[in-house]
Amino acid sequence: MALLEVSGLDAGYGDLQILEDVDLEIGGDEYVAIVGPNGAGKSTVMKSIFGLATYMGGRIVFDGEAIDGLRPEEIIHRGLGYVPQDDNVFPSLSVEENLEMGAYILSEVPGDRLREVYDRFPILEERRSQTAGDLSGGQRQMLAMGRALMLDPALLMLDEPSAGLAPDLVEELFDRIDAINDAGTAILMVEQNATEALDRCDRGYVLVQGRNRYVDTGERLLENEQVRQDFLGG
Amino acid sequence: MSTIDTLGRGNAFVRGRPLLSVVFLVGFALLVDLVHGMYTGRIPLENVTRLFWNGLLVGLILGLAGIGLSMTYSILNFANFSHGDLITVGAFSGWSVTYLLAGAGATEFGARVLIDANLNVTVLSDPFAVVVGLVLASALTILIALVVDRLVYRPMRDSSGISLLIASIGVALVLRHLVAFVYRAHTRGVTGGERVDILPVFEGAGNVSVNTATLMVVAVTLMIGVHLLVQRTKLGTAMRAMADNQDLALITGIPTERVVTWTWILGAGLTGAAGFLIVLERGTLDFNIGWGLLLLIFAAVILGGIGSIYGAIGGGLIIGLTQSLSTIWIPSDFATPAAFSLMILVLLFRPSGLFGGVSTA
Repeated sequence: MALLEVSGLDAGYGDLQILEDVDLEIGGDEYVAIVGPNGAGKSTVMKSIFGLATYMGGRIVFDGEAIDGLRPEEIIHRGLGYVPQDDNVFPSLSVEENLEMGAYILSEVPGDRLREVYDRFPILEERRSQTAGDLSGGQRQMLAMGRALMLDPALLMLDEPSAGLAPDLVEELFDRIDAINDAGTAILMVEQNATEALDRCDRGYVLVQGRNRYVDTGERLLENEQVRQDFLGG
Repeated sequence: MSTIDTLGRGNAFVRGRPLLSVVFLVGFALLVDLVHGMYTGRIPLENVTRLFWNGLLVGLILGLAGIGLSMTYSILNFANFSHGDLITVGAFSGWSVTYLLAGAGATEFGARVLIDANLNVTVLSDPFAVVVGLVLASALTILIALVVDRLVYRPMRDSSGISLLIASIGVALVLRHLVAFVYRAHTRGVTGGERVDILPVFEGAGNVSVNTATLMVVAVTLMIGVHLLVQRTKLGTAMRAMADNQDLALITGIPTERVVTWTWILGAGLTGAAGFLIVLERGTLDFNIGWGLLLLIFAAVILGGIGSIYGAIGGGLIIGLTQSLSTIWIPSDFATPAAFSLMILVLLFRPSGLFGGVSTA
């Protein structure tokens, strides 16, 4: 059974409908990427799953239970982590405080999780008492991921993790995402950098104008002549 | 060579920031005049120390009362104009309790509840009544603030800051006139007729009454308490997180409505305590007490950097001291305009205030 199952999702903002009849499925340890042109509604998919967009219809089932209409803290409790694209750290809090906030719903900060996040991102431990606002773009992205990993989610949703990063950092970041997936966390990622994302993921969705256009393994999508021409620049 | 360098840099500074240079020059001139005046005896030392002491006192009051305003601003994103009347609520409710306890048996119940009995309370004459009054001033102000939030502000949570501001003016009017309706509109003397002095602070500057000393000690203690709470506890961290970014706080799993409730509890609790303490120090009470302070509190909070509790405290002290010390040179009628002018000057150079930025940190 799939970990996350989205079927026939209609969603948007206010009266504006962005997504139409979107289907999506992620297995327990899968790595899935959503790619597509600007304005296709990629981020809206994630926001709808997390209850931040206007839900207009369809079903969102996580771990066997419908989660549409739940508050974000309830969704987090069920094992879904989300890293938004921009402004994804608390700038005036220290690095460690940012991570502690990731575990807010627990009565105590889980020391072993903190240790694990620091082992995964050693730079964060080095800067633990620095304010997050002083971090570089790449470090912020790691901190945002670390915060979402504090609850050991079954599924981690990443919205454009590579946006605004220098090319050598992008490689490093994708390596780290691979490692998180290898450790057993399912990944749902929205990426602008389609070639890189499809190259790394198990399966990819190509979203165009709010609808699923192609669904296949990343490899086959990259080989697909039509996809290459339309979305990957030939 | 180095002299020329220094001159050159000074020159560049004056040309680059002419207004700031003038401000520095005026400040320097005032300082020289003050030192010269005190040296020659034209400005008596005890005047300066007395004014400084008064300024400090007013500053502490403004700072304590401003913390709540700053907090609700940073967490709820609106300038709460009913804040002054929460001070009034705290003052009246707390002193009702103090009078009930202090005058038990001596005067009739109604006169005590409405603070009309002539009791002349001081900290020394009725310590228990004062302490319970202070605590209940906080508690009752919290209760009123939570009721108002539930009835007015929560249904408007997603409205713009301007709508909320205007709603808060309505709340201010309702609260003030409810207080005036219950307690009637006259000014009453509340605290002890006889001054009990305990601390000779500065030679010749007069002594500090027990009531005033109590205000200072309690105010500073509460400020330190808020600082520790905001910096060291999980709730405080969540409040700072919410001040930074509400949406992110929500998707991080911080229960934002609960943090809002705690913000009201803390903010209103401090505000109610401030209202009670102001009366303890001033000795008189009327239904305009909070409204009259509101603009000065806003000035303090904005000067310090709205959203920051340290800005509220620092801004309060600066406004209080400016108001008081400016009377060395200008008639006291102009003391408040002087304080506001200083606020405007600070904002010209640091638009986000001294402790800048929207953050409870």
